[in-house]
Amino acid sequence: MTMKTFPPLGEISDALVIEMSQAAGEPEWLTEQRAEAWRFFASVEPPFWRRTDLSKFKPEQVIAAADTAATAIYQEEDLREQGVVLTTLAQALHSHEALIRRHLGTAVESTRHKFLALNAALWQDGVFLYVPKNVSVELPLMAVFSMPVPGGAILPRNLIILDDGARVTFVEEYHSTAASEQAFAAPVTEMFLGNDSTLHFVAVQTWGEDVYHIGAQKARVGRGAAIEWAAVNLGARVQHIEAETALEGDGSRVEWVAATFAGDHQNLLTAPWLRHIGAKTEAHMDFKTVVKDQSYTTFDGMIKIEHQSRATVSRLEEHALHLSPRARSDSIPGLMIDTNDVARAGHASTSGEVDEEQLFYMRSRGIPRDDAIHLIVMGFFEPVLDRIPNDALRQRIAEMIEAKI
Amino acid sequence: MNSDLVIKDLRVSVEDKEILKGVNLTVKAGTIHAIMGPNGSGKSTLAYTLMGHPGYTVTGGEVWYRDHNILELEPDERSKLGLFLAFQYPVAIPGVTVANFLRAAINAHRAEEGKDPKETAIPMAQFRKQLREQMSALGIDEGFARRYLNEGFSGGEKKRIEILQMAMLEPSMAIMDETDSGLDIDALKIVAQGVNTLYAQHPGMGVLVITHYQRLLNYIKPHFVSVLMDGRIVREGGPELALELEEKGYDFLREEVTSA
Repeated sequence: MTMKTFPPLGEISDALVIEMSQAAGEPEWLTEQRAEAWRFFASVEPPFWRRTDLSKFKPEQVIAAADTAATAIYQEEDLREQGVVLTTLAQALHSHEALIRRHLGTAVESTRHKFLALNAALWQDGVFLYVPKNVSVELPLMAVFSMPVPGGAILPRNLIILDDGARVTFVEEYHSTAASEQAFAAPVTEMFLGNDSTLHFVAVQTWGEDVYHIGAQKARVGRGAAIEWAAVNLGARVQHIEAETALEGDGSRVEWVAATFAGDHQNLLTAPWLRHIGAKTEAHMDFKTVVKDQSYTTFDGMIKIEHQSRATVSRLEEHALHLSPRARSDSIPGLMIDTNDVARAGHASTSGEVDEEQLFYMRSRGIPRDDAIHLIVMGFFEPVLDRIPNDALRQRIAEMIEAKI
Repeated sequence: MNSDLVIKDLRVSVEDKEILKGVNLTVKAGTIHAIMGPNGSGKSTLAYTLMGHPGYTVTGGEVWYRDHNILELEPDERSKLGLFLAFQYPVAIPGVTVANFLRAAINAHRAEEGKDPKETAIPMAQFRKQLREQMSALGIDEGFARRYLNEGFSGGEKKRIEILQMAMLEPSMAIMDETDSGLDIDALKIVAQGVNTLYAQHPGMGVLVITHYQRLLNYIKPHFVSVLMDGRIVREGGPELALELEEKGYDFLREEVTSA
């Protein structure tokens, strides 16, 4: 398979961005959006993140894919009759331009930092999913993103739109085997949940250890709608994911779980933001982290209960398990409450080595120490694995975790 | 091979404080042996030490079972030798179901060096059947098999699950650490019946029952009773000794021991 690429970032100008967009026959508003994002990208320095090590990352060498070769879409049934659209975002521009224009870039702000602007300027890969009003899709829909060449770069842009009362499960996975050259992925996923809709969103990051992954995901949740969000972070050299759930509609809910397992010299950061905006919104977050070897993880979370919200219920749990003394996990949970009307808000956090009492108990039943640690780690992640809808994927993730222990 | 559990002059410290000060005791294969003692006498220390808890430091003595000084073995090796400890405070293992835990334990017992664990593993159907039967015998709802081990279980449920594990692993020497604590009389009867059934089915099985109260011994009848006080065995006898203690309390023994 041949792959089209952009020139290295250092050689791109806004004129080229405009030219390529026009050559692809893209609508004018999108060409403008790209050019504007590019100008922002070109004018700002890379962000300085204290807990994300970009010291060895060389953005000027990045050669981004210029077609949709990295996007693979899987669906087990033909859903066209129900009006469900699942295709590449580039393809969907021909059929659903108005819908895309209304939503694209309205959840994740392109000017938040340099790499989000890069995505907005040059995205080619990515998925468009639209589920019409009151349509329920039973089987999970999947998009798998690969690294097209060793040392390559992809900038997928995913747009998920659920109309009122729609239900769907969408899995996005980023997967490659490790290569020696620095590779780069900066995906953005925007999710829009109409009133009373339900989205089961699974985000799986299983890159090889050469990849720098700087991503953003955001869900805007409408009245009475619910998102069940499960994130699995196992791969990459450096991961920096800013994720946000905005509970905008009254009675909207999120059940948000994540499993992160870092080993070797991996540096994995997850920054989940939760915003309670509507009345009677409910959130439960359960983030699990295992660190090993000399890896370093960060949970940089924030729960914001906005002024106009009422009767909010919010609970955050985050737990870290250390398998070796040199590994490090930082937890920086934040809570900002800007209202007097909170029904319940709670936080629980633990961090430590494998519990000796658990180990002794298991060993007293004949289970050797290593096997006991395996069971404890798998059990630790079980609430997340439990939410992976696809058996084969769950099995594969479980095996990857097993192999890392 | 000697299947008696022989404890010789066992000395154990916890954080530099000597708790067991030279315990001598033999639990004969095929017998039920009760150890009674007041709070703080070292009963639980003895139970944990026999199973190899890393928090207890053995400063002297030997414990022989099946031709091994088990103090030199890891806890999992002791288990494979046939020892079992029913915990006073069973530990919760979040995310690990009762069924998965038991299967892992059984397969660990069946594992043989140099053989593929898949070859020696218990066939799934056989495991399920065995588990169903044992759960039903102990009056445990089948749903417990899919629940996370001891997580959110009541005191009585935990104790039943301990006995379930024992029934599934079929140890040759079982140590029951304060199995009666926190149980109402109905739960106590079920648990005791579980132990008695297992004992009856396995000739040669030894049972060491550690308890503060005589109550449990109404349901699990011991052949021998030893009294542990201040880290030493101070009296040995038959079942009548338990009744005497119930009647007179531990104080009469304490007076005897101090005056001796």
